[in-house]
Amino acid sequence: MSERRIGVYVCYCGGNISDYVEVEKVRDAIENEDGVIVAKTTMFACSDAAQQEMIDDINEHKLDGLVVASCSPTLHTFTFRGVAVRAGLNPYQYIQVNIREQCSWAHTDLPVQATEKAIHMVRASIAKVRLTQPLDQIRIDTVPRALVIGAGISGLRSALALSDIGISAFVIEKTDRIGGWVAGFRRMYPHDRNGSDLIAELHEEIEKRENIHIYTEAEILSKSGSVGDFDVKIKVKNEEVSLNVGAIIVATGFVSYQPSENEYAYGTDGVITLPDFKELIDNSQGELVYKGKPVKNITYIYCVGSRDPSGEKGNKYCSRYCCNSAIHASLVANDVSSELNQFHLYRDIRTYGKYELLYEEARQKGAIFINFDENSPPLVKKSNGQLNVQVKDVLTFGEEIEIESDLVVLVTAMEPRENKAMNDVLKLPVSLDGFFKEVHPKLRPVETVINGVFIAGTAQAPRNSAESVATALAATAKSASLLKKGYVELEPLIAMVNEDACVWCDKCSEACPYSAINKNIHGEKEVAQINSALCKGCGACVPVCPEGALDIKGYTDEQIRSMIDAMEVLL
Amino acid sequence: MNYDILVVGGGIAGMESALTLGDMGYSVLLVEKESTIGGKMILLSKVFPTLDCASCIATPKMASTFHHSQVTTMTYAEVEDIRKTPKGTFQVSVKKKATYVDADKCTGCQKCEFACTVAIPDQYNFSMVARRSAYLAFDQAVPKKAVIERHGSSPCSFACPVSMQPHGYVSLIRSGLFDKALEHILKFVPVAGSLGRTCFAPCEKECTRGELEGTIQIRKLKRFASDHYYEKYPEPKYGPPEEILDKKVAIVGSGPAGLTAAYFLAKGGYKVTIFEAENRAGGMLTLTIPSYRLPREIVERDIKNVTALGVEIKTGHRVESLTGLKKDGFDAVFVACGAMQDSKMKVEGEDLEGVVGAVDFLKGVNRGDKIDLTGKTVVVVGGGNVAIDSARVARRLGADKVYIQYRRSRAEMPAFDVEIEDAIDEDIEMQYLKAPVQFTGENGKLTKIESVNMELGEPDESGRRRPAPVEGSESSMRVDLCIVAIGQRPDIASFAENDKSKLTRWNTLVVDSTTLETDIPGVFAGGDVVSGPATVVEAAHAGAHAAVYMKRYLKGEQLPGEPLQQPLPVVDRDEVLKRQSEYNTLNPIKRNELPVKERVSNFREVELPFTDDEARYEAGRCIDCGGCSRCGQCVAACQAGAIDFSMRDEIKELEVGSVVISTGFELFDPSRKVQYGYDKLPDVITAMQMDRLLAPTRPYNTVLRPSDGKIPDNIAYVLCAGSRDHQVGNKLCSRVCCMYSIKQAQLIMGSLPLADVTIYYIDIRAFGKGFEEFYEQAKQMGISFVQGKVSSVEEGDNGNMIVQHENIAGDGKAERTEHDLVVLSVGMLPNQESLKLLSGGVIEEDSYHYVKEVDEDHSPAKTSLEGVYVAGTSAAAMDIPDTILHSGAASALAAAHVERVKK
Repeated sequence: MSERRIGVYVCYCGGNISDYVEVEKVRDAIENEDGVIVAKTTMFACSDAAQQEMIDDINEHKLDGLVVASCSPTLHTFTFRGVAVRAGLNPYQYIQVNIREQCSWAHTDLPVQATEKAIHMVRASIAKVRLTQPLDQIRIDTVPRALVIGAGISGLRSALALSDIGISAFVIEKTDRIGGWVAGFRRMYPHDRNGSDLIAELHEEIEKRENIHIYTEAEILSKSGSVGDFDVKIKVKNEEVSLNVGAIIVATGFVSYQPSENEYAYGTDGVITLPDFKELIDNSQGELVYKGKPVKNITYIYCVGSRDPSGEKGNKYCSRYCCNSAIHASLVANDVSSELNQFHLYRDIRTYGKYELLYEEARQKGAIFINFDENSPPLVKKSNGQLNVQVKDVLTFGEEIEIESDLVVLVTAMEPRENKAMNDVLKLPVSLDGFFKEVHPKLRPVETVINGVFIAGTAQAPRNSAESVATALAATAKSASLLKKGYVELEPLIAMVNEDACVWCDKCSEACPYSAINKNIHGEKEVAQINSALCKGCGACVPVCPEGALDIKGYTDEQIRSMIDAMEVLL
Repeated sequence: MNYDILVVGGGIAGMESALTLGDMGYSVLLVEKESTIGGKMILLSKVFPTLDCASCIATPKMASTFHHSQVTTMTYAEVEDIRKTPKGTFQVSVKKKATYVDADKCTGCQKCEFACTVAIPDQYNFSMVARRSAYLAFDQAVPKKAVIERHGSSPCSFACPVSMQPHGYVSLIRSGLFDKALEHILKFVPVAGSLGRTCFAPCEKECTRGELEGTIQIRKLKRFASDHYYEKYPEPKYGPPEEILDKKVAIVGSGPAGLTAAYFLAKGGYKVTIFEAENRAGGMLTLTIPSYRLPREIVERDIKNVTALGVEIKTGHRVESLTGLKKDGFDAVFVACGAMQDSKMKVEGEDLEGVVGAVDFLKGVNRGDKIDLTGKTVVVVGGGNVAIDSARVARRLGADKVYIQYRRSRAEMPAFDVEIEDAIDEDIEMQYLKAPVQFTGENGKLTKIESVNMELGEPDESGRRRPAPVEGSESSMRVDLCIVAIGQRPDIASFAENDKSKLTRWNTLVVDSTTLETDIPGVFAGGDVVSGPATVVEAAHAGAHAAVYMKRYLKGEQLPGEPLQQPLPVVDRDEVLKRQSEYNTLNPIKRNELPVKERVSNFREVELPFTDDEARYEAGRCIDCGGCSRCGQCVAACQAGAIDFSMRDEIKELEVGSVVISTGFELFDPSRKVQYGYDKLPDVITAMQMDRLLAPTRPYNTVLRPSDGKIPDNIAYVLCAGSRDHQVGNKLCSRVCCMYSIKQAQLIMGSLPLADVTIYYIDIRAFGKGFEEFYEQAKQMGISFVQGKVSSVEEGDNGNMIVQHENIAGDGKAERTEHDLVVLSVGMLPNQESLKLLSGGVIEEDSYHYVKEVDEDHSPAKTSLEGVYVAGTSAAAMDIPDTILHSGAASALAAAHVERVKK
């Protein structure tokens, strides 16, 4: 006989269940099950009145297990967990049985069998409830400090935003100066703000904050601990510094694609990359001069290092920023010298959203846009000291055009920055494109599978400065979600180790996708230990254990077996 | 502060912001105007470039938002106003719209939805299918609570004096629920059959369909319902109530007012006795209204609705004293004895035999007095319905010649038009602008009537032009009978005498206008005895109204007590007509009457009934002005008792620390790009519609083209439909259309493997992470990409669509390519509602009417008003990943603001 005192409620759902499942029959079938003290039917289990009745029953009959047979758990798990909590019952000692979607609605043509199935399912759940243990949510205290890696515009803006929300920030920067790429920019699209000013303003504000520390010439050495409470060692110049932080934001930025030798005659005098061209125009006044020669004709070749389906020359991906950036640079060039003839050799113009206006302005100012097919790219030649670009223009139905050019600007891709030393420590996965991989590109773009480690800016994907700042703020918000409350609560449905059975063969830790299993000493022997902050209860470790020493709380083998036994399935 | 942060709009941006801020520990109020959160994302099929099912990734977000301990989700609510306070916080007015469903009781079982009789274009399926007025937005709705869509009172229902919700029974008849239609009417009046014949149908005058092909014949539909029901159920289905109270009520008069009051009082458990002076019950229903208009058995069946409840009718019992009734032990009295006394003309010779009052004349006929007018000449004086009734009755009694003399013109005639027309059809001669001045007779018997012509002068107090005699225009004619139908007065001299009851100068009883109580406590009065001669429906209303206050009186409550709830304001007919670009032409069923020859010699009912099919067709012309019809089917279906029509909008005033605006975008209306034929060509749809056709929760479970339900096998996508287009005033690129079109093309290749898909484009903008690879994948799958802007879409001879476009990569010529379905990849436009949220217009918009981000370089999501932030497509067109990032930015800035104001 079970010592347990279980309450079972079978719901009519106002006909949704009872039209096909004989609810009274289900109740009659299980009311004498071992451990069942209360067995009732109810019109709507989720109604306030029914919830109150359950609370009263739990208190009056001192119930220690609750089964509600009604609809899908996705609908009402929270509801009845709430009932349990309000009645003083551990919420993990309640089980929802879905006899609506899985019995009534699935078998409208077989009401007798639907009822039978419901009885089996409720029996199984009663069997499981008999074996439930009270579980508590895992609570981890967090520290209100974050480490930001990289002092480009993303990293600096993150630090400031963290400080605004009351979280201290340590910024580490590999080089000896802060500001990254943006510090070197002048006019940037689309608002024509000066990049170096933007960095200077951020820096000035950061200087005022007591809870922001910037370490230049610094690198991460090691990381231990878990989400909300990491111990990090960094090397600053030649000194080692220990930091205790709750979250880490990786904002390590990008590198610009370096064309290979002879790619569009790169290396020839007058063929330069977009970053070089931007520097040139930023430093020109009144007249555009390249290496002492005045520039009249500029030809831009787009997608250099990007959008190569084979991936042989550069990258498969589109670098997103470059159409906008190149067109903006050409507009700046117009401002430097009004005498320019500018030719844009493109595949698709991707001035998405409001950037379309840049494209329009460039056309209005006389820029010539020439569309080339990816299979017949332009040819850059130099003869007699004259750069010539040959291109077949799709827009004029394949007309061969030759452009005498004073400058050829290769609109180059953004590429992920190599960060081997850092990534040996953080073990962040990377996407196929080489940028850091987010948990979900759609819904969780700044989170990584490593809880508490976030990615921001161009470390995650190519994008422009303003977009990078948005990701920096988003990463800040996610860090604050983790740290602001002072603790995190995690579901307790995670793996557990039977230390007596465990022989530490290491199979479980190899199977764990979250690095949540470590070796530990138990008495005299080595056993597996679950890091409850990292374990997500996926169960991958359980079947690989040769000793059967692992189980998932709330879904133990014993519970599942008891459910199968209770089903009494006749084959 | 009530909440740290207000998030306006529960789409993906709003949910993401609320969750992020809630996780930080801030208290968040999320306000969503629809009945569910989830925004547009939950409606999508799959999302690019991962091809995740949108439902599968959005539903958990919706559930976590709704269940988050720090987030309060208020759906079906609108932020009306936001004002910044000097402290840096915000004062917010939120309108919680009435859902008419008690969310605590609703279990989301959808029974109301299945029972609802009103179909409304389903906005969640972009009008490709209908949903119900009582509805859950969709299966994954969060919260899973029904709402009932009501725009206001339907004009017909608002016009009805007894508020019997004609829209409700029209809707029930349309659905074939004929029994239910009458049971619906019986909730408001017992005299359903009589009203079906005699009501002057103010509802029909307000009918919005009247602005199109002609009003719905609501009155005749009511008649249809009662005919159907009374034939099926000769006796009421119910008996007296189970619980009878120890209180007695007397009712004086068994006309529509008395019967209706008795009906409601008896239903409330009171013992009711009706005293009727005449020897048959029914008042004017049986005594004056002729049976060719209102057959006697109909009235009798109406009366059974009352007597079945245990009401006793004592006929031939004239009440002389009201206080006497109270002394006899009645706890309350309702006086409804009508206005049955003919008014006098005060013309010489009026006392001659052969000059009779219309009521006396009609009463005699209805009593069965033998009256033969064969070969006689009859003149009826008056212009109301009673005059017409008298004339037509005289015709049926064999009169040779029947005239109606009326002192004003046809335009002023108070009788119903139909009645006048029928009278003329029956060869009754109208003499307008004519009035008797003298009756002369021989041997005390009328022989001649002398009349004078009238002309119309200035309007009198009734607004009608006052007639004045034209001097010297007298004429006379021979006449055998003159029926005077110039008005009626209550016959209540005895009350004035015995009870000292107060009377007006029209000889009607004086009552309190709210409670209908007379100056004698516990004695109430209504109907013609108070109003003077009026209509059946107004009398019934008085009875129902009095019953409410009599019950309060009988319970010992202070009168008047709580005011009665007013109906919702009436919807504007022009607004209703604007809801759809056009309505199908549905002409009314033609009037159908007995031919004149077959009716003038007898009292057979003139109006012929609708057939079942006619009734359903006629009712089907209803355009559901108010949304919900109030047919009450949901109330009956809801086992949880959750439906509550007394609910009203509520305004909540709140203080919050910071505001995130995430009101989303609007889709470009493709009918603005007329060349693409969206309005004219059925097989031109929007990409949002295609997304629904591809979604797991799709309406037809496959992709069908609208014109003929064929599975399309050659589909065209027209990119930049309304984007990058100066012609429609939208210069901007909408950022998402290239990618969603590629996504849909891939999904089509999956679900219709034999279909060809062609995408017509200017530039393919696959710029985000993984997008270019997704585009490459589409090309590998065999989706055809044609570079060239589409100039027009036309219908070909075989009904297929002809897409005219340039083929740039070909020889550059304009080509005409045939497709069987064209999808317009419509773009995003700003939702300008968001700019109206702040009173005084303190948040700035950009040149394209999006919420302006004032410092995109340092603080994207920041607006011109410190403390207000914008998330997602309220600021610019963007895809879901960028929306998530933008929401993160808004959340970080909002949190920072809250920290500042909390200090």
